[in-house]
Amino acid sequence: MSPRKTGSGGLGELFRKDRSHTVIFLVLAALVLVASPYLDYYNTTAVRDAAIFGLFALSLDYFWGKTGQLSFGHAVFFGVGAYAYALVAPVLGGTAGSLAGLGAAVALPVVVAGVIGYFLLFAGIRGDFFTIVTLALGVIAQQLAISWVAVTGGDAGLVGVPPLTLGGFVFFSPTSTLYLALGTLVLLYFVVAILSAGHTGKVLTAIQCNETRAQSLGYDTSAELLKALMLSAGIAGLAGALYAATSGIVVPDLVGLLLSTEVIMWVVVGGRGTLVGPVVGTFLVMRFQQEISSVSAALWPLVVGVGFVILVFTAPNGLLPWLGRMGRRLTGGRTP
Amino acid sequence: MSDLIVILLNAATLTSILMLVGLGLAIIFGLMRVLNLAHGEFVAIGAFAMVVAHDAGLGFIGGLVLATAVGALGGLLLEWGIVRHLYHRPIQAILATWGVSLAFQQLLQLAFGTGARTVPAPIQGAVEIMGTAYPAYRLLLIALSLLLFAGLAIAMRRTSLGLDLRAVIQNREMAESVGINTARTFSISFAIGSAVAAIAGALVAPLVSILPQIGVNYLANSFFVVIVGGVGSLGGVLAGSAFIGGLDSLIAYQLSPSLSRAIVLLLAIILVRFRPQGLVKP
Repeated sequence: MSPRKTGSGGLGELFRKDRSHTVIFLVLAALVLVASPYLDYYNTTAVRDAAIFGLFALSLDYFWGKTGQLSFGHAVFFGVGAYAYALVAPVLGGTAGSLAGLGAAVALPVVVAGVIGYFLLFAGIRGDFFTIVTLALGVIAQQLAISWVAVTGGDAGLVGVPPLTLGGFVFFSPTSTLYLALGTLVLLYFVVAILSAGHTGKVLTAIQCNETRAQSLGYDTSAELLKALMLSAGIAGLAGALYAATSGIVVPDLVGLLLSTEVIMWVVVGGRGTLVGPVVGTFLVMRFQQEISSVSAALWPLVVGVGFVILVFTAPNGLLPWLGRMGRRLTGGRTP
Repeated sequence: MSDLIVILLNAATLTSILMLVGLGLAIIFGLMRVLNLAHGEFVAIGAFAMVVAHDAGLGFIGGLVLATAVGALGGLLLEWGIVRHLYHRPIQAILATWGVSLAFQQLLQLAFGTGARTVPAPIQGAVEIMGTAYPAYRLLLIALSLLLFAGLAIAMRRTSLGLDLRAVIQNREMAESVGINTARTFSISFAIGSAVAAIAGALVAPLVSILPQIGVNYLANSFFVVIVGGVGSLGGVLAGSAFIGGLDSLIAYQLSPSLSRAIVLLLAIILVRFRPQGLVKP
């Protein structure tokens, strides 16, 4: 017996359900676009990096926000994507190299997620166990990235990663890479948002609410979770490839625990499960990080650590839902 | 032959350390269903307690006492300040304790600098076992760990706190309804678990280069000890640490340490696929 499909899906469904979030997202993206010609070199690259990491945060939010399973090693997928692009793109060079690099950067994390997810998810590993095993994966990956010098370049990493080249156009100037990152982010936001608003998202929400009940309705919940993890890993890998192509360097930190932690923080700050929140959270936290780092770079991990504790106790659902609640309180307590 | 003995003794050394770190984790997780990601920092605290004791001329025993005291106090504070409020929100507990872990690493770095520290072993020289020389301190470490583990296992069986603990692990509501003060049981066992991790850190200090980030590796490994071994039983901790520690030492003999650790953790994941309840069922 196959479960009946619910909802029509597609753009219509997205605008019917999540209009406010999508509007917020488009307004912010438009703002960045309008402001981009007036940004100096430093800020252009900073906004570009925020867009790339925003895409990364979006990928985590699709998995964590929709399924409720927290991956504490998501940087593994981002980093594998970055390394894959950096290793594959120079082999062919030019447009063919860039496309092959992007393909590898998406495919490899999907395969890694598929293998790991198969062993974990089909074994019934869920919740905090899933979190801790993925955390250990991050530890392994970082050690491998540092010790496998022949492939990864060890601690020094890989430098001189070729910029993305498409049909003769080289995405090298800061402004062009900003547009590239922003365009990819907008495109994939819609892919993820449409999926979430449609049938797939409903099934994942059902699993998050009560997996046993979703199973009894005929859904293969482990397979659904695995698919979501693989899609999320693919997007994270693409973000990693964009980072490698725009910054020109790949280092072991990109698969490391600190990045895995930071992406969780971006999602938590923005509001888990809202899709737009994590992107906004990334921009806000990275801006804040620049301020802190201008005082002392060593201070940042301390701020992240203390920030986690404060967030958990004050705004466990993130800033966006918190702002929404404050807003409703100010406008007279109407709840939508 | 002599290679085999060295591998076995190396495996026993690593197993002893993992056993102590995993023990605290297993008790805390078995009791409160809370994953304490700051658990590895107690290993670091124990190791740095040894550094402080050495600098101050307190000696090995002084270092052990200091590590135990700081570990227990830190555990009490963490439980009282943070973990206690998050029993029913496991993911939030993970995030908060991870935050504590990050902050603590950074504080240790501010206090002791980024460079690696070392402390000398309290006893030098080697002991000859079946024709093979093996460092005497490592043998002492194995003996002390087994002693401590056995002591805790007996305490779990014989003391009233141990009885309360086992009752709460089996069924928390029922334990509460027969008058066991679960909050008190939680605090005390959290402190004991943290102190044991700190002792493990102090014991391992003479063998490793002591860095503020030292805890993360032990954290990941000891979580696998608990997952592979099975939650909530001391036998599981023993089996899990023997699995992880034994395999790691065996593979590290042929391959690089990072690669062997990666292989061991991957094997552990595969094992979990086929035995989700762990090697030892409680």
